[in-house]
Amino acid sequence: MLRYTVRRLLGAIPTLLVIVTLAFLLLHAAPGGPFDAAKRMLPEIQKSIEAKYHLDEPLWRQYLRYLGDLARGDLGPSFQYRGTSVNEIIAQGLPVDATIGLTAITLALVVGGAVGVNAALRRGSRWDYGSMAFAVAGISTPVFVVAPLMILIFAVTLHWLPAGDWVGGSPSHLVLPAIALALPYVAYIARLMRGSTIEVLNSPFIRTARAKGLPLRLIVWRHALRPTLTPLVSFLGPAIAGLLTGSIVVESVFGLPGIGRHFITAALNRDYTLVIGITVLYGALIILFNLLADLCYAWIDPRVRLR
Amino acid sequence: MSDAHGFWRQALRRLRTQRMAMASGVLLALIMLACLLLPLLSPYDYFTPQFELLSRGPMLAGGHILGTDPLGRDLLVRVMWGCRISLAVGLAASLVSVLIGVAWGATAGYVGGSTDALMMRAVDILYSVPFVPFVIVLMVLFGRDLWLIFLAIGAVSWLDIARIVRGETLSLKQREFIEAARVSGVRGAAMIARHIVPNLIGIVIIYATLAIPTVILFEAFLSFLGLGVQSPLASLGSLVADGTSEMQSHPHLLIVPAVFLALIIYCFNYLGDGLRDALDPRDR
Amino acid sequence: MTALRARAPWASLACLIAGCSSVDPSTTPPKLPPAPSITVGTGLAGEQILSRGLDDTPRSLDPQLSTDVPGQRLLDDLFEGLTTVDIAGKPAPGVASSWDSSADGKTWVFHLRRDARWSNGAPLTAGDFVYSWRRVVDPKTGAEYAQGMAAIDNALAIALGQKPTDALGVEALDEHTLKVRLSGPTPYLLDLLSQQYAYPVYQPVIARYGDDWVRPEHIVSNGPFVLRENVLSSRITLEKNANYWDAAHVRVQRVIYYIASDRSVQVSRFMAGDVDWTDSFPSNQYPWLKSVLGDQVVNSPYFGTYMLGMNFTRPPFKDNLPLRQALVLAIDREPLARYMRLGIYQPAYTFVPPLEGYQQPRPDWAGLSDAARHALARKLYAQAGYSERHPLRLDLESSRQDPDARHYYEAVAEGWRSVLGADVHVYEREFKVLLQELQLHKLLLFHDAWIGDYPDPYTFMQVYYTGDGNNHGGYSNPQFDRLVDAAGQEPDNVKRYRLFEQAERVLDDDAAFIPLYFYATRHLVKPYVRGWQSNIMDRNLSRYMYLLEHQRR
Repeated sequence: MLRYTVRRLLGAIPTLLVIVTLAFLLLHAAPGGPFDAAKRMLPEIQKSIEAKYHLDEPLWRQYLRYLGDLARGDLGPSFQYRGTSVNEIIAQGLPVDATIGLTAITLALVVGGAVGVNAALRRGSRWDYGSMAFAVAGISTPVFVVAPLMILIFAVTLHWLPAGDWVGGSPSHLVLPAIALALPYVAYIARLMRGSTIEVLNSPFIRTARAKGLPLRLIVWRHALRPTLTPLVSFLGPAIAGLLTGSIVVESVFGLPGIGRHFITAALNRDYTLVIGITVLYGALIILFNLLADLCYAWIDPRVRLR
Repeated sequence: MSDAHGFWRQALRRLRTQRMAMASGVLLALIMLACLLLPLLSPYDYFTPQFELLSRGPMLAGGHILGTDPLGRDLLVRVMWGCRISLAVGLAASLVSVLIGVAWGATAGYVGGSTDALMMRAVDILYSVPFVPFVIVLMVLFGRDLWLIFLAIGAVSWLDIARIVRGETLSLKQREFIEAARVSGVRGAAMIARHIVPNLIGIVIIYATLAIPTVILFEAFLSFLGLGVQSPLASLGSLVADGTSEMQSHPHLLIVPAVFLALIIYCFNYLGDGLRDALDPRDR
Repeated sequence: MTALRARAPWASLACLIAGCSSVDPSTTPPKLPPAPSITVGTGLAGEQILSRGLDDTPRSLDPQLSTDVPGQRLLDDLFEGLTTVDIAGKPAPGVASSWDSSADGKTWVFHLRRDARWSNGAPLTAGDFVYSWRRVVDPKTGAEYAQGMAAIDNALAIALGQKPTDALGVEALDEHTLKVRLSGPTPYLLDLLSQQYAYPVYQPVIARYGDDWVRPEHIVSNGPFVLRENVLSSRITLEKNANYWDAAHVRVQRVIYYIASDRSVQVSRFMAGDVDWTDSFPSNQYPWLKSVLGDQVVNSPYFGTYMLGMNFTRPPFKDNLPLRQALVLAIDREPLARYMRLGIYQPAYTFVPPLEGYQQPRPDWAGLSDAARHALARKLYAQAGYSERHPLRLDLESSRQDPDARHYYEAVAEGWRSVLGADVHVYEREFKVLLQELQLHKLLLFHDAWIGDYPDPYTFMQVYYTGDGNNHGGYSNPQFDRLVDAAGQEPDNVKRYRLFEQAERVLDDDAAFIPLYFYATRHLVKPYVRGWQSNIMDRNLSRYMYLLEHQRR
C-alpha cells in the first residue's frame, strides 16, 4: 500500500510538469502582455516593471526560473495585484473553496444517498419515478440558472439569507452557495446509488440473506451498503476535484473570495503566474483525489488489488 | 449478421416500452424541427433591432409570442437560433470525441501489450490535466471561433469513451467470430474497422447520447462566462447569461432560454438512459 | 488621462452576469416585490458603520502604483494629499492649509498643517512629500501613472531616465513649507494634487517591508481612515483614524467596502440590505430600479466621453474626410440615448463633457433636422465613392469586456445600414488583444472612451495630440497641436478655455472621431446615508458621510 502510494505520487511529477509546460507556453503565446494597459506607459517605466518581473529575459530562462521557484514551493508574484504573491492569493482563497466544497459534497452524499437508496428499495413506485425525474432535472439545470434564482427568491424577496459575501464562512452565508453547488451532485449521487443498490440487491448473497428471512432494512445497513459504495468512490475522486472548478460560477454569483474567480480575471489580465499557479494546483488536487479514490476502492472492496 | 439484426430489433422493442425515453426522443425531434423551420418561416431575423419594442414580454400583436429581447428582436427566433448553435456544438463536439475515443480505445484494446499500456498511460495523464482551466485559457486567448469550441470541447471529452471502448474491445477479442476472422487472414486496421468497431456501435451510441448533454452544458458554461459565440448570434448559454442580468425586471429573458436549455439536456439524458437500458440489458 | 480606465482590464467578470441590454422606458414596470420601505429619523444612527459597494478589487493600495477607480476610492479614504476634494468634488485644503503662487503661475508654496500626522502618530512633514513625489516619477518605482506629475518641473525627464530624481521641482523649505516649481502655468494644479499619485507615503515602512508595506499589519497612512482588513475580491475594512487632523468631524467609525465585480450582484446586495451605497448599477436595469427604488437611484453627469475611433493611417479612413463625416452625421444620437441609454447618458456632439465655464463648441450639423442630416450624410457617403452596389464593409471592433457596449454598437451599425446602406458588423475582441492591435494601429474602426483625471479640458485634449500614446487612430493636425500647446502656456483660464474650444472645432472639421455620448455616474443610495453629493469626478469620500437613524420595516 505504502509503496503503491509513493510510486503513484512520484508518477505524478511528470504529469505536473506537462501541465506547467503547457500552461506556460499557452500563456506566453497569447497576444498582449500583463502590463499592456489602456494608457500607454513611458518606455523607461515599462522597462523597469518588466525587469522587476523578469519579463525581459528570454523565454527559456523565464521557464527555468519558474520551475526552480516552483520546486521550492514558490508560485511567484501576481502580476495583476501588484505586491501580492500567488501563494498568498491561493492561501486566502483555498479555505473558502474547501469549506463550500466539503459542505456541498457532504450535503450531496447525505441527500443523494438517501434519495437513491430509497428509490432503489421502492423500485417502480411513484417515489422512484418522481425522485429520478427530479434527479435528471437536477443534472440538466445549470448552476448559473439556479444560483441567481436562489438569490432572487431567498435573499432579495424573502430576506431570509444574505445575497452573498463570505464573512469568515459564517453558516448563514454558506447556505445558498453550498446548496447551489451541491444540487447537480445530489442528482448524480442519487442516480448512482439507485443503480448500484439495485444491482447489489439482485446479487446472490443478498438473495440468500433475504431467503433467511432477515428484515430488508437490516440487510441494507449490514450487507448491501458497503458494496454499493464502490461506484460512488470512483465517482467522488474526480467529482471533488471538479467541485473546485465547478465553483467558478458559484463564486462569482455569490461574490465569494475563492480561487476560481481569480482564474478568469487572471487569464484576461495575462497574470501569467496566477494562471499557471491555479492550473498546477488544480492538477495536483485531481491527482491527489484520484489516488485517494483508488485507495478507498481497495479498502472497500478487498478483491481489488493495487498494482 | 442475422444475429445482429435480431439484436437491433429487440433493442428497438425494448426502447419502445420506455415511455419517458420515447417521449424525450419525440420532443427532441420536435425541437430540432422547430429550430430548423421557425427561423425560416418567421418574418423576423435574429439581428435587426426594433427600437419600439425593446424587452417586451410575450404578446400576440406582431407575432412575438415569446416577447422581444433588449434590442427589440424576436425572442423566439433568437432562442431557435440558440438551439441550433447549442445542438450543433453538442452534436459536432460529441462526434469529435466519439471519433477520437473509439479510434484510441479500439486500437489500444485490440493491439494490447505495451502499446495498450502506453496509450492508456497517456489517457491516465490526461485525466489529471485540469481541462476546464485550459479550455478557458484557450477561449480567452484565441477568440470565440465556433470551430475552436467544437474542437476544444471534443478534445476534452473523449477520455471516458476511450476507456469504455478499450474494455469492450478486450472482451470482444475473446469472441469466436473475431477468432474466425483472424484465421481467415484479416489483420490490423482492417480488423478494427470491419469487425471490432461495428460491434461497439451499441455502447458508443449510449455514451455519445450521454456525452451530448454534458457538452451542451459545457458550452453554455463557457458562454455564460462570456467566452462563447460572437454576437449577434447567441447560444442558449449566452442568452441565459444576458437574461440573468435582467431577471428581476424582465424574467422572460431568462426563463425562455433556460427552459429550452434544460429541456434539451433533460431529453438527451432520458434518451441516453433509455438507450442504455435497451441496448445494454446487462445493466438492468 | 485614462482611457477605458473605469471598467477596463477588469471587466470580464463584470460580464459574467451583467448583460448588455436595455429596456424601453415606456414599458410598464413588471410587478415585483417592492424593496422594504425604510423609515428615516433625524438623529444620527447609533452605529456609524458604512457599507459601500466596490466595482472591482483594487489592483494595488500603493498610492503611487494604483491606476484604477476602485483603488482611487479606497485611497481617497486612506490618504490625503496637499489638497483633497470637498463634498462637491472641488479641491479643498488637505494636508496643506494654505498656499501662495507666483504671478506667472509657475512657482507655488504650500503651508502644511502643524497637526498633520501619520496614523502611527509621527508628524507629517514637507520632506515626506519630497520623498513621495520623487518616488512616483522614479522609473525604478514602475509607476504607470508617473506622467500624471508631468506638470512639475523635470518630472517627465526623470521618468524617461534622463535626469536624476533629485532634479524634481519640489523642495522642503522647512518642516511645514513646500515649494513646487512647475514646467508651465497649471490652473488645475490643486485638482492634480488631490490625485492618489500625489499622496504622501511613509518612507520608514516602505524601506522596511518593500512591496508588503500596504498590508493591513504594516501600512501607515495619513487619511481619515486606516486599513484594518483586505480580503482579495471580497471585502476591505477601514477604521476611523484617531490621528487624522480633522478626526473630530469624521462621523463614520468603520467603512466596509464589499467588492462585487458583477454590477447586478451589487444591486442584489443593495436590495437585500447588505450594502448602503453602491459604486454603480447595470444601466439596463435603470427603469426597473427607478420604479422600485425611486429616489434611491441617483445618477448625474460624469467627466467621460464614449466614442468611436477611426484609423487615419490606413484606408478607407485615411485622407477620406467625406467618409468620416458621413459616419459621424448618420448616427441618430438622441433616439439612441433615449432608447439604448435610457436617458441616463447625454448624447455627445463634441469631445469634452459638460464642464463649468467651458463652452462646448456644438457643431452646425447637430442642429439639422434628421432628414437634412441624413441627406447630407448620404451625399458625403456618395462623394467618398460608396453606393448601394459598392457599400462600405467594415468591422466595428469593440471590447468583449464592456458588456454595456454590445447592444449599443449593434444599434449604431443598424443606423449606418439604414441611413447609408453601409455594411458594418460588431466584432468583439478580448481586451488585451484589442489594446495590442490598437497600439499597433491595426484596427480601422474601434471602440474608444475617455474619462478625465481632473476637471479640465486638457486631460481630454492630449488624446488627439500628434504621437500621443493614447492617440490610437494616429490622428495628426499641426493646427490642433499648436492650439493645445498655446493653451498649455496660457495662465488665464478663460483664454485657455477659448483655445481648447478652437481646438475642438478643428477636431470636428477633420471628423477626427465619432462622438457618441457622455458618461454618467450611477449609484444606489439608502435614504439614511447623508453627507455626499453627486459630482462630475465621481469622488465621494467616506469622511463626509454619516448615517441617520433608520428602521427597516
